[in-house]
Amino acid sequence: MAMLQRRILKSTLEEAKARFNFNWYPILSPCASFSTLPSSSTTATAHDHVPPHLPPFDYQPKPYNGPSADEILAKRKRFLGPSLFYYYQKPLNIVEGKMQYLYDESGRRYLDAFAGIVTVSCGHCHPEILNAIVEQSKLLQHATTIYLHHAIADFAEALAFKMPGNLKVVYFVNSGSEANELAMLMARLYTGSLGMISLRNAYHGGSSSTIGLTALNTWKYPIPEGEIHHVMNPDPFRGVFGSDATRYAKEVQDHIEYGTSGKVAGFIAETIQGVGGAVELAPGYLKQVYDIVRKAGGVCIADEVQTGFGRTGSHYWGFETQGVIPDIVTMAKGIGNGLPLGAVVTTPEIASVMAQKIQFNTFGGNPVCSAGGLAVLRVIDKEKRQAHCADVGSHLIGRLRSLQDKHDIIGDVRGRGLMVGIELVTDRKEKTPAKAETAILFEKMRELGVLVGKGGLHGNVFRIKPPMCFSKDDADFLVDALDYAMSKL
Amino acid sequence: MQRFTPARRLFSEFKCSLRRQRRCFSQVAPNVIDNNDGFVPKMPSFDYSPPPYTGPSADEILSKRKEYLSPAMFTLYSKPLNIVDGRMQYLFDDKGRRYLDAFGGIATVCCGHCHPDVVEAIVNQTKRLQHSTILYLNHAIADFAEALANKLPGNLKVVFFTNSGTEANELAMMIARLYTGCHDIISVRNAYHGNASGTMGATAQSIWKFNVIQSGVHHAVNPDPYRGVFGSDGEKYARDVEDLIQFGTSGNIAGFVSEAIQGVGGIIELAPGYLPAVYSTIKKAGGLCIADEVQAGFARTGSHFWGFENHGVVPDIVTMAKGIGNGIPLGAVVTTPEIAAVLTRRSYFNTFGGNPVCTAAGLAVLKVIEKEKLQENALVVGTYLKERLTALKDKYELIGDVRGRGLMLGVELVSDQKLKTPAKLETLHIMDQMKEMGVLVGKGGFYGNVFRITPPLCFTKEDADFLVDAMDHIIARI
Repeated sequence: MAMLQRRILKSTLEEAKARFNFNWYPILSPCASFSTLPSSSTTATAHDHVPPHLPPFDYQPKPYNGPSADEILAKRKRFLGPSLFYYYQKPLNIVEGKMQYLYDESGRRYLDAFAGIVTVSCGHCHPEILNAIVEQSKLLQHATTIYLHHAIADFAEALAFKMPGNLKVVYFVNSGSEANELAMLMARLYTGSLGMISLRNAYHGGSSSTIGLTALNTWKYPIPEGEIHHVMNPDPFRGVFGSDATRYAKEVQDHIEYGTSGKVAGFIAETIQGVGGAVELAPGYLKQVYDIVRKAGGVCIADEVQTGFGRTGSHYWGFETQGVIPDIVTMAKGIGNGLPLGAVVTTPEIASVMAQKIQFNTFGGNPVCSAGGLAVLRVIDKEKRQAHCADVGSHLIGRLRSLQDKHDIIGDVRGRGLMVGIELVTDRKEKTPAKAETAILFEKMRELGVLVGKGGLHGNVFRIKPPMCFSKDDADFLVDALDYAMSKL
Repeated sequence: MQRFTPARRLFSEFKCSLRRQRRCFSQVAPNVIDNNDGFVPKMPSFDYSPPPYTGPSADEILSKRKEYLSPAMFTLYSKPLNIVDGRMQYLFDDKGRRYLDAFGGIATVCCGHCHPDVVEAIVNQTKRLQHSTILYLNHAIADFAEALANKLPGNLKVVFFTNSGTEANELAMMIARLYTGCHDIISVRNAYHGNASGTMGATAQSIWKFNVIQSGVHHAVNPDPYRGVFGSDGEKYARDVEDLIQFGTSGNIAGFVSEAIQGVGGIIELAPGYLPAVYSTIKKAGGLCIADEVQAGFARTGSHFWGFENHGVVPDIVTMAKGIGNGIPLGAVVTTPEIAAVLTRRSYFNTFGGNPVCTAAGLAVLKVIEKEKLQENALVVGTYLKERLTALKDKYELIGDVRGRGLMLGVELVSDQKLKTPAKLETLHIMDQMKEMGVLVGKGGFYGNVFRITPPLCFTKEDADFLVDAMDHIIARI
């Protein structure tokens, strides 16, 4: 796939170059020969001519003496297989991280606007979390739950307290895929039905059964998926019903009535689709669908792998933005600030079906990951990260909307808090995905010092989901960089 | 692992009679139990004092577990142990009492708890960069993949990193199915490969299988030298695999998966000659051979680095986890470039897989195994331990079988040597008593009557003596 991707990228870049008569010139350190202009300058013209500056940051990365990017790439090609893809024509060798910044092998700093795919929630090497991990690693890394240990119990309790309703039984696993697999198993056991429903454009995992729930062809290998169906995506930007949640909900009703026995195992959705391009479900959708699914005997699963832990700003959990309480909640990514950790939280009633047999996870809930997870919860509360996401997020979205007025290529700006998407189109009416331009801008942003993510089925959506310590200055720098890059297209 | 409830009722009656005996003993130091003939097994000395524990008590933890964790989550022992500290092959409870860890967190802690080299690698990398994903380069994943590939024979040199054994086996099964275009996979009865949907199908013990669809897996007769119908005749068992293919599939299959020594199943070594015969059959049917090295890998069997090497075969795909990171959540799938290419048809991505911290730990583990000659130690100490356990078997009717290789050993208890009736209650009792004496072993087997001895590979002869003496001491008193 990487070979294919690279060929496509190369040809789209060439196509774009030809189309835009674009002269490449490498942007060196932004501090080079430019006069000092405040990065939050409001004059639009200033940003057209002068690349913006990274906000200052008082930290020196350690000198790097390890293998070079080329050496690493050669080893990857040899020992990690051709399917292991990477970003950028000239891949970035990231060797160190601190809060919302990453450093490459030459010590150059980048603004991490993607957080290792929405994973580094509190900040790279956040001191409190680091401390928890290091201290616990020195005491006991692993013994399994066949013995007692306080870390897993304390973390489970703290996590349960963050949940509404009767959601208070926690299962620890090692990834989002494992969490969603377990949720699907619970749904089927609890209901006695098989049929699962997920949304088109969803991403729920890469393991052989979560591939069934995932609904984007890029990620779906041709294997049997069992009884899983995908319903129309309540996508306000591209969906056929716009933001009309009721019409989309009826689709689910129709599927159940015509495509199932009338009873289903469960429904799973992300509140804001991550891999799918930061697509927020049409408002009011989940409330209606949860009703429909429950009437059909099914359980409702909220995939909070990306939207959880205060990222949406307005609420702690993504599903709260839709005013619902699910039966099962799955989480991973941000839960451990990068530690391999996932969790499933459900009600005692649903959990009881798991007691029919034994299910054991060797690494799940190990002392180090539990200690790290607990530290994450504390940091998010102590540093008021949720409010911060709301504050910085609205500032960011506001500035991006202004940018949308300026550049036609921005078809949509969407999201909530620090889970933001920018969809690029070559034609605002047709909403034709601007794939080539996205690829160019993606590279340009890297050169300017901003690492964003990419998503959407057509790869034309920038995903902005930084560590939640991202500041307004960072947001301004990002928008200014995007403005600058777009002006040069 | 068996259902505890019915056993517990009978078990408590059993305990009461022993308690009466114990009251006659004189006051002794906490980690020895005095007895009538004066010989008391003593734990080898160890120069380390754990920091004082000031955290929640065992009872507090238990009540939180009951409220906030799975109702199916079990603990070993009638009085669960609160383990708070670990150093090399020892664990410490909340009172600072030391135990010999003969289970290794389920064959997971291979270098030793908090081994300084591994901790250093983890701490140093965590302070630099915990996570960024493979979308960017980082040397840790590349260096570890290279080192790991260099440990494997043949053309096995493409590595996929996952976060657990289940994830690794799931990926291996998917790769086999994609590569061959077939769906059928054969695993062995009594096997354990994981708890997700594909691996639950491959796992073959009812206690681990929920009532959900597990398609495309067929289970072959277990080539169990102790309980199997053909004894140690590997080739006879292999014929069952042929029959499965000829009668139960289209004649072409996706693959075969097995452990070299069944772990959860009770340390059952596949009968000699089985794997070579089966591998040949599978290849003829166009299938791939998957070796699950989650427990037997990483020098544990002593004679070889990988369990499958003991059988003289080279698999097409190897899966690993547990020991690979000395306890850090990490798994891996290694295969040939040709087979690996199948994943390029779409995108496979694992967010945490191959992160800098886990791969740095993995590389440190490989270095420690080599530097401290842990494979040789597993061979020497394991052989010694097995000899002593075999001598114990000759002494006691209760011990039906002693088996395994290196530091992956099993002791099966039976109440009748001829009928091989599983001695479940005695197993529970002895296990509990061993803990009282300071030895932590594991339990396994379909009937829950097998002691699993899979300690950290730094286990010494003195540790082995202590373990056997303790077992001897306890069985003598039953």
